[in-house]
Amino acid sequence: MLFSGIPFLFYFLPCVLLLYFLSPKKLKNTVLLITSLVFYGWGEPKFLILMIASILIGYGSGLLIEAFSKKKKEKLAKTTLIFNVSVNLAFLGLFKYADFFIENFNAATGLSRPLLGLALPIGISFYTFQMLSYTVDVYRKTVPAQKNLIDLAAYISMFPQLIAGPIVRYADVEKQLKKRTHSFESFSCGMRRFIMGLGKKVLIANVLGELCDKFYVTQDPSVLFSWIYALAYCLHVYFDFSGYSDMAIGLGKMFGFSFMENFNYPFISKSATEFWRRWHISLGSWFRDYVYIPMGGNRVKLLRHLFNIFTVWLLTGFWHGAAWNFMIWGIYFAVLLILEKQLLLKFLDRSRVLSRVYLLFAVSISFVIFGAVDMTQAGNRIADMLGMGNLPLISAETLYQLRSFGLVLVLAILGATPLPKKIFNRLSQTQFMKNALVVLEPVGLVALLTVVTAYLVDGSFNPFLYFRF
Amino acid sequence: MTAKIKYVATTLATLLFLGGFSLWAMLRPADEFSDTERRPLKQFPELSVQTLLEGSFMEFFEGYTLDQFPMRESFRTIKALVADKVFLRGDNNGIFEEDGYLSKLDYPLNEESVTHAAERFKYVYDRFLAGKDVNTYLAVIPDKNYFLAEENGYPSIDYDALYEAIYEKTPFLTPIELRGQVKLSDFYKTDTHLRQESLLPTASALLTGMGGKADAKYEKVTLSTPFYGVYHGQSALDPAPDVLSYLTSDALKECKVFDYQNNKEISVYELSKAEGKDPYEVFLGGPLSLVTIENSNADTDKELVVFRDSFGSAIVPLLAEDYAKITLVDIRYLHPLLLGSSIQFESQDVLFLYSTSVLNNSETIK
Repeated sequence: MLFSGIPFLFYFLPCVLLLYFLSPKKLKNTVLLITSLVFYGWGEPKFLILMIASILIGYGSGLLIEAFSKKKKEKLAKTTLIFNVSVNLAFLGLFKYADFFIENFNAATGLSRPLLGLALPIGISFYTFQMLSYTVDVYRKTVPAQKNLIDLAAYISMFPQLIAGPIVRYADVEKQLKKRTHSFESFSCGMRRFIMGLGKKVLIANVLGELCDKFYVTQDPSVLFSWIYALAYCLHVYFDFSGYSDMAIGLGKMFGFSFMENFNYPFISKSATEFWRRWHISLGSWFRDYVYIPMGGNRVKLLRHLFNIFTVWLLTGFWHGAAWNFMIWGIYFAVLLILEKQLLLKFLDRSRVLSRVYLLFAVSISFVIFGAVDMTQAGNRIADMLGMGNLPLISAETLYQLRSFGLVLVLAILGATPLPKKIFNRLSQTQFMKNALVVLEPVGLVALLTVVTAYLVDGSFNPFLYFRF
Repeated sequence: MTAKIKYVATTLATLLFLGGFSLWAMLRPADEFSDTERRPLKQFPELSVQTLLEGSFMEFFEGYTLDQFPMRESFRTIKALVADKVFLRGDNNGIFEEDGYLSKLDYPLNEESVTHAAERFKYVYDRFLAGKDVNTYLAVIPDKNYFLAEENGYPSIDYDALYEAIYEKTPFLTPIELRGQVKLSDFYKTDTHLRQESLLPTASALLTGMGGKADAKYEKVTLSTPFYGVYHGQSALDPAPDVLSYLTSDALKECKVFDYQNNKEISVYELSKAEGKDPYEVFLGGPLSLVTIENSNADTDKELVVFRDSFGSAIVPLLAEDYAKITLVDIRYLHPLLLGSSIQFESQDVLFLYSTSVLNNSETIK
């Protein structure tokens, strides 16, 4: 079920809100669990078993690790952790990566081992990482093991963040699972965040997706169209994913949870290093805390440090998809980060303009790689952007698409900066605006909901990009 | 205090919207048909353990909720208005408006499609016409975008290339040029088709191109019912409807028209269809696979076979006075293999009459 779908907005969500707020405090997690299972099962009934198995194994592992640790049986605790990590990674490997390895094995050996052809369970990359962080944190004694199966299952399967993040750490919500407050303030703030995210997804990301689709099928390409595509695709992914994160954070708030922020205006960064501090923050910090730092981080010799960076970014790319272009996308950022650390940052710090131009160029190229079917396509698109594809500078269709999508592109560019928020915050400081917002905010949100509903009713299937991860 | 009021107001307003439409959507009876889109609407899917486990219930439920959403048409209008007036989009779902005319983007030139159409024409020619005493012609009617798209900055088919390609691929057909006979104002504003009352120059070009004469006189009759063309509903913007007129004469009134698809006699102008879902079906009963027009008052005993698309429905009646019998065949609905038993191809004029839009999207031609 998609957040940006009529079934979710007008059937599922109202029913869940009703059930949740009518149920007594001690049953709220049970309601969340059951409704989350319905939410997940709606799209993938057969994969419910996989997720439940992962939860049960994680629950048992957590209790065992804690029990062994208390009895100072560190080896057994470690073995249990390794078992849990292995099982979860095996699930992920089987469903997400098996065919990639078989394909490459066949290509390398000339053999023709049959592919498994397994469908990718929605959100497996997200809930697997949550489960891993839980058991590792229990092993590290950062958090106690959860004794209540329903509470743990509610955490892993919680529908707001289940299928596209943010990757919520157990440590961040442990206390809220037991005790959280509900108020008009948190509910209305959550609802506002949810509706804003919905607007970002439906009115900006989907429309930019349409522009990208036009580019894919054009028979009238041009250098300018290739650049417009690169820009539109970057913004499309950003508004799609950050819109989803806003919705997830907003829903969490409505139910009394506080999830971590996942985006912080990444396109205003002045380097790739900064970009990744602002983009998909929950994934970046997950790899930092559970891979990079355990490998030694930067407190090692230079070569080892470089190896650590390469490993983390190769894994980051691979996490996004079982294809070479994702791995190369990851390595591309590894190279950029290393170059910046060793050389570029000194120069980039000197000019805000130059550093931003560099970042936008680097990120545009990265997303062309990210959005390509394979590296040949990525290479061709980059060559087209650089004027090496024998394309005219401009074409009739380019001009039309620019005219038709121009305003949405401008709005997206502005919306990707903190400018609208700054203006809103400044305006809302005055007492007049504070009073006016009592009316304007609910009216504005209902108007936005109306327009979003209109776009949804007019459209058809409306998938989220990040579901494939 | 102000903040508290805002929180409560926001909570109540948004919940009222979501909850209100939720209840309305769940309780309202399902509509069966969308008049504006001319299609049946999806109904509540079968609910069983099997459909739930297969996931088919969920898949169809999504479509059902979209089709049956309360005030669906109003929401579609809101979307069209926001796309047009707020986001300044050039088109809404491919539909654009220019000079008061609605049209649908159709680009680029689909060479495979043109080749497919030419191959199907050749199939008909080789199987039924080659070596026979027949005169074979091809006439291609420019569609609305020919006049509207490129001139107004919309992406367009390369029409010159399309004409060149179809002529080149059908050397067995003598081309009759129609590009100079049609202009933008000849089209309905809300529909894809040409107004029949503007088709006299086209009919004249066809008749003279096939060696006939074009001297028939017609009386124009205008229907009182408004004509909401196919783009009217798709645009969702509720533009003013068109007026539907037809041209008739004493000779046309006496023509006998037979619909072989439904095995019944019909009229040249099926006036009862003016009240139906597509009033353009007034012309020769709409999309029928095989229709004959017999004119016992014709000066000659010439026969004409027309392979045609929907544009032919309005044009062919204007050719009727010059032929004793006209057979209209739509090979989008009837496989040409079946023609041998219905039509004797001998001593006839044979005209392939197609619009550029069908040639560029010819996958339905059998």
